[in-house]
Amino acid sequence: MWRGGFLTMSLVTDAFVSQIAAVEPWPENATIYQPLKSEQVLLSDNASCLAVQAFLQMCNLPVLVVCRANAEYMSPSGKVPFIHVGNQVISELGPVVQFVKAKGHSLSNGLDEVQKAEMKAYMELVNNMLLTAELYIQWCDEATLEEITQPRYSSPYSWPLSSILVLKKKLEIKRKMKAIGWAGKKLEQVYEDVDQCCQALSQRLGTQPYFFNKQPTELDALVFGHLFTILTTQLTNDELQEKVKNYSNLVAFCRRIEQNYFEDHDRDSSSSSSLRLPRGPTLP
Amino acid sequence: MPHFCPICLLTCPLLSGRLPALKTRQDGVIFQTSKIITHLKKQKYNADYDLSAKQAADTLAFISLLEEKLLPALIHTFWVDAKNYVDHTRKWYAETIPFPLNFFIPNQMHKRHLERLQLIRGESWREDDETLEKQLYTDALECLTLLSQRLGTHRFFFGDSPASLDAYIFSHLALVLNVKLPSSRLQQHLRSLPNLCQYCASILTIYFTRDGETFPRLSPKSPTAESSDYEEEPNKRRNQILSVAVGLLAMVGYALLSGIVSIQRVSEDKAVELGLALEEDEED
Repeated sequence: MWRGGFLTMSLVTDAFVSQIAAVEPWPENATIYQPLKSEQVLLSDNASCLAVQAFLQMCNLPVLVVCRANAEYMSPSGKVPFIHVGNQVISELGPVVQFVKAKGHSLSNGLDEVQKAEMKAYMELVNNMLLTAELYIQWCDEATLEEITQPRYSSPYSWPLSSILVLKKKLEIKRKMKAIGWAGKKLEQVYEDVDQCCQALSQRLGTQPYFFNKQPTELDALVFGHLFTILTTQLTNDELQEKVKNYSNLVAFCRRIEQNYFEDHDRDSSSSSSLRLPRGPTLP
Repeated sequence: MPHFCPICLLTCPLLSGRLPALKTRQDGVIFQTSKIITHLKKQKYNADYDLSAKQAADTLAFISLLEEKLLPALIHTFWVDAKNYVDHTRKWYAETIPFPLNFFIPNQMHKRHLERLQLIRGESWREDDETLEKQLYTDALECLTLLSQRLGTHRFFFGDSPASLDAYIFSHLALVLNVKLPSSRLQQHLRSLPNLCQYCASILTIYFTRDGETFPRLSPKSPTAESSDYEEEPNKRRNQILSVAVGLLAMVGYALLSGIVSIQRVSEDKAVELGLALEEDEED
């Protein structure tokens, strides 16, 4: 049913969609769907979910978080998270940013053209290196696969199905790694890539509060989603975490966004119906 | 070797994961662009020597942008777009690959690239999926626009001297700009961005016109060109002879196997007897 809804939506021309979107204000009952927080979600999925939540929070748009075991199969693109706003369903950060922009909310309006190009480039850096590294560690490192990924990914399903789904996903990721030339990489090389990426992000951030000075952008939301998840997730060893912890300005950046956009709202979420982020582990 | 050697880097990144290759005295043959650049850096041939840490970070980010946004569309333009593939890429490859292989290798590559696109852009990709194709090109055109905005009125991406990022970007743009394809949306869009065209042209004239050489040919031999007839003559004759021979062999083989013609081996005196018998028959 969800997929059907997406297809009909995509048949309508872009201009038409944005027109409708602009007319309708942000509804009260906007919902974000993601996998079960405590027993199912994986590192990479959690990073993507947190990034979208952070982005909506930065735009000051209220959204209700709903955890579903089959969120991956509900999503029109097969990737989590996705938001359900009015009669539209949009998945992943990029399309969500465009959709929200059509509604008149944008974080990057204050940037000039060069800065916008740089912001997009850094977002692709995070997707290209951090996200791929997370997928590699989850699905291609045997120890992590056995101890963490397999039990978590198959948790909602009973035996024959759970093994089949894990195997299917594992093969898909392995083929993807092969296609982008990561299949021959060793775990150490992947950690090195993460380090290189973090170094680039750290250099770019410097001593500024956000990547483009005082106002957060979607890049900040994306970086926060990934780094915060890496910092707060216990894997088979601490190596990935240590790579990020080496850069003190990145850790401080994560703490800043957590304080500004998640802790305040937790406090008054009892009175208003704003984002209710399930309280995850906080930064050390 | 000069301080900056873009020739080593100018290779079509589409052709295969194993190209380009650099032959060195100490380390044998090195494959892939990134490994070659790392090797050259170790030998102190470094185009990024003057860059600040922030610029080095930008290099990484823009390379990711190219890989995530422009490369998939390039692969589509060359290998998946039906018209371009049949009229251009397959012909081009078939011309250069030796005789029996040229029937299989282009098709194999076509399949591999299609699979790669499917893996990059999600499982649901099919050859004729218009929505996804549209999204692919929207992303790529946006990427070109972003590059144009980032370049602005500068001569190179980091001011007045070229760096490795320029080699990366140039190798993609020059391909788009100079190739003659039946349908190329990327080329049309790139032509409308004058600063990028100017950028490509200036790099071409500075680094690729030594010894009266011109830019590597980026289109298949045109069938009307007179010289090509002479060049192809020996192969053409050989192929004709070979095909006639194969045809004859097949016919004879079929005739023998199906018993239309049968060969009998008989001894000499028997043959004489047979001959006599035949003569007698005739007399009768």
